Amino acid sequence: MRIWLWRLGLLLIALTLWEAVARMLNPILYVGPSRLPGALARVLATRDLPPLPGHVWLTVGEIAAAYVLAVAGGLWVGFLLGLRRTVGRIYEPLLATLYAVPSVVWYPSLMLFFGLGPASKIAFGFLLGFFPVTLAVLAGIRQVPATLVTVAVSMGARPWTVFRKVMLPAMASTMVGGLRTGLALSVVGVLVGELLGARAGLGYVINYAYGLMMTAEYAALVVLVAAAVLLLDGAGALIEARVKQWAG
Amino acid sequence: MTTGAPIVVESVSKRYETPSGPVPAVETVSLTVRPREFVSLLGPSGCGKSTLLAMIGGLVPPDAGRILIEGTPISGPTPSKVALVFQDPGLFPWRTALDNVGFGLELTGVGAARRREIALSLLEPMGLKGFESKYPRELSGGMRQRVAIARALALDTPILLMDEPFGALDEQTRLLMGEWLVEVRHRTQRTIVFVTHSLHEAIALSDRIAVMTARPGRIKDVVEVPLPYPRALDGPDAVALHAKLWAQIREESLRAMEGRR
Repeated sequence: MRIWLWRLGLLLIALTLWEAVARMLNPILYVGPSRLPGALARVLATRDLPPLPGHVWLTVGEIAAAYVLAVAGGLWVGFLLGLRRTVGRIYEPLLATLYAVPSVVWYPSLMLFFGLGPASKIAFGFLLGFFPVTLAVLAGIRQVPATLVTVAVSMGARPWTVFRKVMLPAMASTMVGGLRTGLALSVVGVLVGELLGARAGLGYVINYAYGLMMTAEYAALVVLVAAAVLLLDGAGALIEARVKQWAG
Repeated sequence: MTTGAPIVVESVSKRYETPSGPVPAVETVSLTVRPREFVSLLGPSGCGKSTLLAMIGGLVPPDAGRILIEGTPISGPTPSKVALVFQDPGLFPWRTALDNVGFGLELTGVGAARRREIALSLLEPMGLKGFESKYPRELSGGMRQRVAIARALALDTPILLMDEPFGALDEQTRLLMGEWLVEVRHRTQRTIVFVTHSLHEAIALSDRIAVMTARPGRIKDVVEVPLPYPRALDGPDAVALHAKLWAQIREESLRAMEGRR
């Protein structure tokens, strides 16, 4: 309870500072929080801006597609590299190298390959979400206590049973952390993709508002996105805490 | 001669490949364990006693020789006949005490109601009544190890292999767990092979003690312990036995220490 009061206080202080600074500066460039509700209302009424719902759903769809692909690919590659030790030894350095490259440098190629439409955004969201999932699977496999596997094997468990009843639960907390990070990065990937070049989507609308110097609307959209991401990540955090409690 | 022996170890050897070349862990060990007997493998750390136990459990294949469980040579774990307990209780943290005990039964397809019944019947006499729905992290070290032993007993195998099961416990808990194991053993009529480096533990629990040499592990001597239970470790017979074992094992421990340097 006390912690929530502190957080609330901190938020109020930040908003006050923001407002104070914004009022001292050029109102065309600097938007204070007091101007956000009005801008938000205008954005939602889609006055002067492209109609929002269609763009939002497109972005949500892109994120969902990117994340599903990132999870599927991450789990597949992670388990392949983690469980087949020879394959792992060959490819893990490659994976680490790719991960070390700032992912944004791939985006121009993705646009060349997949065009300006949703495909390149999905591809970029996938690329960003893929690594944390893969790395979490690899870390998870490594930290399964050997004793637990030995116990199951000594009781006659076959490899698939060991995987299902021992490895998966033992990896759960690490994996769920990676899945959460992957989701956050898939969101980033899709939005950045839309900002860098798109004809539709939430990022496109943000870019549109920015391009026309509609700074209040721009700020309102950013706050909207931040709130949505916060909600999503909050849900992720709840799930992660639950899984961690269960997996001990 | 070996008919009816639950465990026969025939000239078994094992070596481990290490970056600095192969290291012999166990060298031509032979041992026959009689029905319902409690045999301790006693030796300095690193003498291969755990490796020998893992081979009897079918977890590690021997390089040479063979192991027979109830007359049948083994090539892997035989969960219908042999259950294992390790120094680390190895409980599944996401399962309650009850579900941990039921794990092996689950693998063999025993239904939930029956699993629960068996698990409860094992936990209760172990002083774990009321703890069945606790998770491992909510249990003390001694309790965890008792749950692990209950999990092994739940398989209802004639043979129980224990690898320093009380090694991680404090002295007092260790003594109490020893007394408790003697009681469990007489109640459940198992054949038990018990790995330890503690002379006291071996004397308190065993019918016979196989003394192992420092690496590579061989069986140096097999000593009978003809003392009645409950055993008083300060009685003259126990003290004499302790002195005899110590004389044998001292030399090996010294060698193990030198080898470690």
